[in-house]
Amino acid sequence: MSTELLKVVADSNQWWALAPEIMVACAALGLLVLEIFTPKEHHRFIPHVAVVVLAMVLVTVALNFDKTWGGEELFGSLIKLSASGQIARVFFLLSSLLVCFLATICLPRTRMPRVEFYHIVLVVTAALMLLAQSNHFVMFFVALETVTIGFYILVSYFRDNALTLEAGLKYLVLGALSSALMLFGIVLIYGAVGRVVIEGVVHTGFEYGIVADFLRHNPDNFLAVAGALLVLGGVAFKIGAFPFQIWIPDVYQGAPTPVTAFLAVSSKAAGFAVLLTLVLNVFSPLAYVVVPVLSVLAAATIIVGNLSALSQRNAKRLMGLSGVSHAGYLLIGVIAALSVPAAANAVWFYLFTYLLASMAVFGVMAHVAGADDTAQELDHYEKLARQRPLLGTVLAVGLGSLAGIPPLAGFMGKLLLFVAAFQAGLYWLLAVAIGGVVLSIYYYFGWIKAAWFETWSPSPATAQAPARSVAATTFVGRAVLTALALATVLLGFYQEPLTSWLMP
Amino acid sequence: MTALLNHGPLMAIILDGENLRYPSTYGLPSYLLLSAVLFAIGFFGVLLRKNTLVIYMCLELMLLASTLALVAFSRFNGTLDGSVFVFFILTIAAAEVAVGLAIIVALFRRRHTIQVEELNHLKH
Repeated sequence: MSTELLKVVADSNQWWALAPEIMVACAALGLLVLEIFTPKEHHRFIPHVAVVVLAMVLVTVALNFDKTWGGEELFGSLIKLSASGQIARVFFLLSSLLVCFLATICLPRTRMPRVEFYHIVLVVTAALMLLAQSNHFVMFFVALETVTIGFYILVSYFRDNALTLEAGLKYLVLGALSSALMLFGIVLIYGAVGRVVIEGVVHTGFEYGIVADFLRHNPDNFLAVAGALLVLGGVAFKIGAFPFQIWIPDVYQGAPTPVTAFLAVSSKAAGFAVLLTLVLNVFSPLAYVVVPVLSVLAAATIIVGNLSALSQRNAKRLMGLSGVSHAGYLLIGVIAALSVPAAANAVWFYLFTYLLASMAVFGVMAHVAGADDTAQELDHYEKLARQRPLLGTVLAVGLGSLAGIPPLAGFMGKLLLFVAAFQAGLYWLLAVAIGGVVLSIYYYFGWIKAAWFETWSPSPATAQAPARSVAATTFVGRAVLTALALATVLLGFYQEPLTSWLMP
Repeated sequence: MTALLNHGPLMAIILDGENLRYPSTYGLPSYLLLSAVLFAIGFFGVLLRKNTLVIYMCLELMLLASTLALVAFSRFNGTLDGSVFVFFILTIAAAEVAVGLAIIVALFRRRHTIQVEELNHLKH
């Protein structure tokens, strides 16, 4: 082994580029150390450390945002620095910050250990950030599994609740199944690409660039096409697209509310970040199979998600199934991005509006939830607006934005996405999506109605039930919820700050 | 890691497709067929079996089937990074088993059953 080789390796390992991930991961370990070395009465301050670190890293990443970063491959092309990777970093940090905020509301209600929860959230955050920037199938798989195994623990975190454990088991079995399918796909791609060994050049069939190169020359290689479809199937599980959406309602219902929010926002966004990279960069020569498959998936996802959400009375299942339909709209954006480059930015804009609106709704849900986190029925929202005007307003703004009501941010997100789909000529998908949006207004407004308007003949069960106590809001809680609602309203009128930052 | 492998002259000597020191009796298709059969057994086992532990074993079987295909490709293509990936997969599988068995044990303590048809209390 020559010194020259070691020099090449050392030059490509630029650790500064991964400073945010390293800081988050070190903070995760730091929390555990803090728990050991501080007296027990100070342990309730440890979650604040997690929040402060996430906020600091978020501000650092946002201030150092540099659009000119493009295509620099580091660590022997394991990682690729790009503008969309930085957008993903900001997204995941913001989302984890809000998940930690939700956890500070929900966790004190149970007797479960607290510090470990924040520890795992931070580890998952670091892995999510790496996942969005991966440029190599080994990196991709390891980061994805770190995220998934972290989520297994988080979903079954309230282990004194049998329903939560059942949700954890379902997520475990289906998640491991999708990971195994994806791994087999990666192996097939590796096998297909590695077979063309040019004299003197050793190929590695894991690098995105080399795989894309191979596919450009052999777009009809059977092994590679089968592998690509298996990998996309694994990603479809993450985003909850049609045949893989079966886990969503059960797992969302059983998981603790902060974890449901984490799954709904970060896990879904990670799936789309990966899907955009794979479809646009790696599998673009396979568009002749990928586009029809994704189109059918998108249409089926929108229809199934909206129809099954219509009859839901459990708030968490409703969020899950309506989230399935949002995944369908976003899939249309991914398909459109193959012919209209602006569609990729529309997908990110939509994800940001979805983050703000969902977190607002989950914030209200965290306050309304009682001792049993899995039983959150729409009936529990009765008289919410009269008792707690702030929570009622935030709920209405969040749900209105998710439904896509005109002055709110969700409407602009849908508009940008649908305009991109129109430019790409996806007319029949557009028709399905607009039908889905109309259907979604029904169930979102059913929820708003439950919170804002008196039901004139309550069923005997709810009439006899004692009034539920909604958790008191702290000053920080009120501030965060108000900020989320305000951001949702302002983004509806004035998109310039976000769009100028997202658009290249 | 990969950069090391990309430039490593060592493995080109050891694993050059034509100069295998110990040529295999079986060809690549035999390994791939075996791997595909194992994968299919695992996949249908997950879908059809009712005992959570057996389902879990089937999931591990699927991972190992992928590993077998990976090693076979790595050897017959003459690239070493597939064999390195195997270590990552084994580590991930170990982590997955640790977490998974913990969940199954906790669930068994609450419910006193691990049969999937009895674990259906989550519904609308």
